[in-house]
Amino acid sequence: MPIHNLGYREWRGELNSSSTRWMVVAEIGIRRAWQSAWLRRMMFFAWVPAVAMGFLIFIYEQSAKQGGELQDFVSAGAMAMATAEDPERIFRRIQAERLMTGKRPSAGEERHILWSSLLLVLFRRSQPFLLIPIVAVLAPPMISQDFRSRAFLLYFSRPLTRAQYIFGKAVTVGVYLLFVTMFPALLLYVVGVLLSPDISVLYETWDLPLRVIMASLMIVIPSTLLALTLSSLTTESRYAAFAWFAIWIFGHLTYMVIREVASPGDSSMVQSLSLYETFNDLSSWILDPKLGVTQVDTRFIMLGVMTAICTAVLYRRVSAPMQV
Amino acid sequence: MTALVELKNVTKDYGHFRALSNIDLMIRPGITGLLGPNGAGKSTLIKVLLGLVRITAGEGHVLGFSIKTEADQIRAQIGYMPEDDCYIHGLSGIETMQMTAQLSRFPSTEALRRGHEILDFCGMGQERYRPVETYSTGMRQKLRFAMSIVHDPKMLILDEPTSGLDPEEREAMLNRIRILARQFGKSVILCTHILPDVQVVCDNVVILAGGMVRVSDSLDELCRVPHPSMTVTLSGERDAYRDRLTARGVKSEVISLRQVRVFGDAELLNEPLWSAAAESGCIVRGISPSKNSLEQIFLAAVKEVHRADS
Repeated sequence: MPIHNLGYREWRGELNSSSTRWMVVAEIGIRRAWQSAWLRRMMFFAWVPAVAMGFLIFIYEQSAKQGGELQDFVSAGAMAMATAEDPERIFRRIQAERLMTGKRPSAGEERHILWSSLLLVLFRRSQPFLLIPIVAVLAPPMISQDFRSRAFLLYFSRPLTRAQYIFGKAVTVGVYLLFVTMFPALLLYVVGVLLSPDISVLYETWDLPLRVIMASLMIVIPSTLLALTLSSLTTESRYAAFAWFAIWIFGHLTYMVIREVASPGDSSMVQSLSLYETFNDLSSWILDPKLGVTQVDTRFIMLGVMTAICTAVLYRRVSAPMQV
Repeated sequence: MTALVELKNVTKDYGHFRALSNIDLMIRPGITGLLGPNGAGKSTLIKVLLGLVRITAGEGHVLGFSIKTEADQIRAQIGYMPEDDCYIHGLSGIETMQMTAQLSRFPSTEALRRGHEILDFCGMGQERYRPVETYSTGMRQKLRFAMSIVHDPKMLILDEPTSGLDPEEREAMLNRIRILARQFGKSVILCTHILPDVQVVCDNVVILAGGMVRVSDSLDELCRVPHPSMTVTLSGERDAYRDRLTARGVKSEVISLRQVRVFGDAELLNEPLWSAAAESGCIVRGISPSKNSLEQIFLAAVKEVHRADS
């Protein structure tokens, strides 16, 4: 029994703005998700590649002070990881360019090439493989569990709109995904700036943070909406998780099979079947346009269409329990 | 007295199924019992009042706000306690309360303080720190009630608030409803199948059946019998007592083994009631003005629907 039981009292206080309601949904979602030990472990591992690349930047900057082959070797290694080419071949190419032109590119140009290569490695090679299991743990219970425990009655008997509910859930997933994609990449950039010899590096690489933000949003928004849509289609979160994995795995397998069979001209349409390839190519195009990724507009349209369909299905599904 | 709820020709269809049919309803401040058999349209009516479903036809206002265009304002001023078990997995009782208050735009710290205050009012102790999924049925019921009043709403819609509670808790719950209505002026719509609860706390009654309003009136008015009469509780020979009354020109009917309804004004019946008892050797245990029981009213309303259907 409480010491001071005051009974019921009327409440006369100042209320928050109505536009903050989605924040409550997001805050609860983030707190609940963080209770998962698996998610915490995966979030920790998601930062390991960024730390490793920070170490590469450190080596590069150290070698830059002395000049010479070590610097070229680090650049070649980063570019090889980004483009999946043979590092030795890239190293030889760099050396050959030096001999042909008879001079090294400016330090700013070299740094830009290295950093964008490292960011590309982060976006193409490491983070997608971490993003997939993180979403599989995080997103499936988001809406399906609310359906199962009938929590939607709790939400929607309050002045909360469906759009605010969906936005709050999307922010929950989105925040975690940005912690895996955007924040490590931005941290890598900051590490690079701190290790570089002078502040002029900001002028030489000002576009990279913006590219990182664009590439991250390009991955996070469609992934979040797709995962939430799958969650809204069932009351069993494991089915949503299976479907999430199936879309990535079977999509990519189908792409590989069709690529072998179909003519090369249809590649962009076929490539859209694989989310992995679509995200890879679009992030390559955003982070380093010189890589020559083609037919970007088709992939953007496909991704946009998928996002729009997911939003429509999600809105409809969230409205559905009220109609019963 | 302004109406809390005013519905005009409200119809709600789910595909080909008509859940509510031309509902005309006015609910006044006070405690109103919403009764009806299963499938009568009570849940749909509640969803309509909360603006959770779009009506097919008609118009309506709740607390002066349109159910079509101002559902947000309505939900901000109504506390709804659903019948179904609903909770957010992984949250404790107090976290759920805080979140509910925050959804009603309470600042975070104030939401927590208010959550504790209301849980105290609802008689919930240290179990408020446990995850909700570990709660018993009664505790969940109390938590749902607490959530419905955390934002100090003007009006409460309580769906089966006493189901699953033990007699002591049920009495406590009814008492809380009474306190909120009588001391704090909250209007309550009490949706229940437990007729004694309605009889004990409600001022008005609405009976829904077959998607239509069959009865809507004050409880006093409904319970009043059409002809003045008295209910006499006896011990002794009931039939002999009735014979004596008939001999005196007083009409009567049997209510139960020990109860007889005697027709006529109370003042005129005073003498024959006692004389008949003395002559028949019966002992009069009680005399009270006759009333219709809520059960009779409810059954009559439901029978009417069955008759219309057949």
